[in-house]
Amino acid sequence: MAVPGAFLLGATSRLLPASIPLRFFGAATVYHLLAWLALLAGAGRMTRFVAAPGWPLAALHLVTLGVLVMTAIGASLQLLPIATRQPVRSAFWPRVIWWLYTPGVAAVGLGMGLVLPELLALGAVAVLLALLAFAVLLALNLRGARGMPDVVAHGWAALASLFVVLSSALALALGWLGVPTIARQAVLALHLAFAAYGFMGLLALGLSCILVPMFALAAAPDRRRAIASCSLAAVALVLAALAALGIAPQPLRIVAIVLGAGAVALHLRLMRVALRSGMRRELGRSFVLVYLGWAMLAASLVLALALVLDAPLPGLGTLFGLALIAGWLLSFLLGILQRILPFLAAMHAARGSLQPPTPSSLSAERPLAIHFFCHLAALAGLALAIVADSSELVMLAAGVGATGAAAFGIFFAVLVRRMNTAPAA
Amino acid sequence: MLRPTTTVMTLEPRLWSDAEGVHIDVRGLAPPQPLVAILRLLHEQRDGGAAVIVHHDRDPLLLYAELAEVGWAAERIAAEPGGVRLKLSRTG
Repeated sequence: MAVPGAFLLGATSRLLPASIPLRFFGAATVYHLLAWLALLAGAGRMTRFVAAPGWPLAALHLVTLGVLVMTAIGASLQLLPIATRQPVRSAFWPRVIWWLYTPGVAAVGLGMGLVLPELLALGAVAVLLALLAFAVLLALNLRGARGMPDVVAHGWAALASLFVVLSSALALALGWLGVPTIARQAVLALHLAFAAYGFMGLLALGLSCILVPMFALAAAPDRRRAIASCSLAAVALVLAALAALGIAPQPLRIVAIVLGAGAVALHLRLMRVALRSGMRRELGRSFVLVYLGWAMLAASLVLALALVLDAPLPGLGTLFGLALIAGWLLSFLLGILQRILPFLAAMHAARGSLQPPTPSSLSAERPLAIHFFCHLAALAGLALAIVADSSELVMLAAGVGATGAAAFGIFFAVLVRRMNTAPAA
Repeated sequence: MLRPTTTVMTLEPRLWSDAEGVHIDVRGLAPPQPLVAILRLLHEQRDGGAAVIVHHDRDPLLLYAELAEVGWAAERIAAEPGGVRLKLSRTG
């Protein structure tokens, strides 16, 4: 006996309204383009990047806050309740977070780019409040999670890192406004390590334990090994923090990098097992971006070691930042996002029925292909520009990156239009 | 393109057949094992015409889009309290 659609109450209670995750992903798509444009504006000062107000710093934060964290918020708000078998607690707070966070990021970007401390401070306050609210939602999700201890462990470690990121960001902003805080270099080191490897990195590794097996149709990774990888990464971050605070900086940084490399190696081995044993072999261009991201994660650790050992390579710090932020996090996230979005759109296009349109019918392949090649060319161009110390090459690479970002935006717009016009089953 | 796999899961689904079709019980399995087990069974069923009855402990939100991609559709059928039962059949 078939049961009518009213029975779907349990289904929809774990699914946020489409407008909530899509507004985060949509904003990330727009900030992706804006980040490349900001880099274009700051091309003259990019190859020897210093963390000082200006368009290069704005571009960095438009990527990190506007694309990476924005997507992480949308993905974790939507995916964690599904994966950890919980009802969505509130659709109100995610909306509040978006309305605080999205203009906050714009103010931070403009404040940095145009060197307007008041605007930066205003934006930073909005971003801080939004991320604190997100931290509460994430903590509630993690506390109520049933099963998936590896994902939950990564989530808690990412959450702890977020508090270090926010505290260090506050100290940096206060320092810029002339309020004395602890040594700027120490705060910068904490901010970088805990933002990129801590908060974003651990969230990415944790969500991979759900998403990669799901995409490959493989068994979940070995939970104990995944938790061991997370523990190694957490210890590496603690050592990096002690080093940043002046305790045996060089030896502790080297040990932290070695432990971080161990965490990455363990994680990548688990992902390799999932990909090799999965039923779905052809994962397309999106997974080329994921593989690139993993390779750049490993490369970032090698470059970090070179930095710690004071290797005499010009532009080494900027290359490290490129590998870490654009190479690892941005490539990985864009690869994952272009696989999640059609599925999410299909789930919502079903409008409560059990017969959604196929995800592939909602996706537009040509814009994704353009984005793929532009992304690779832009990263290669930026690496060359840093080595050659050429602002012209930065401009060229940023233009190509912006073209790719615009193509990704077209993919997103087509997806939303097809989702909204898909015939109900 | 899907291919068969030899992966050993920490918990295996329970399988049996009766007049209704082939049954698969994925209750108690952690994500994404239920999804993988169901799709693997459908892959193995490709030459047969039997319906597949899924016994689940929650609504498998991510399954429906995957089913659509491989030419199957789900219909909800009566289940015990607190459970979800789906009848899967080919489309077209």
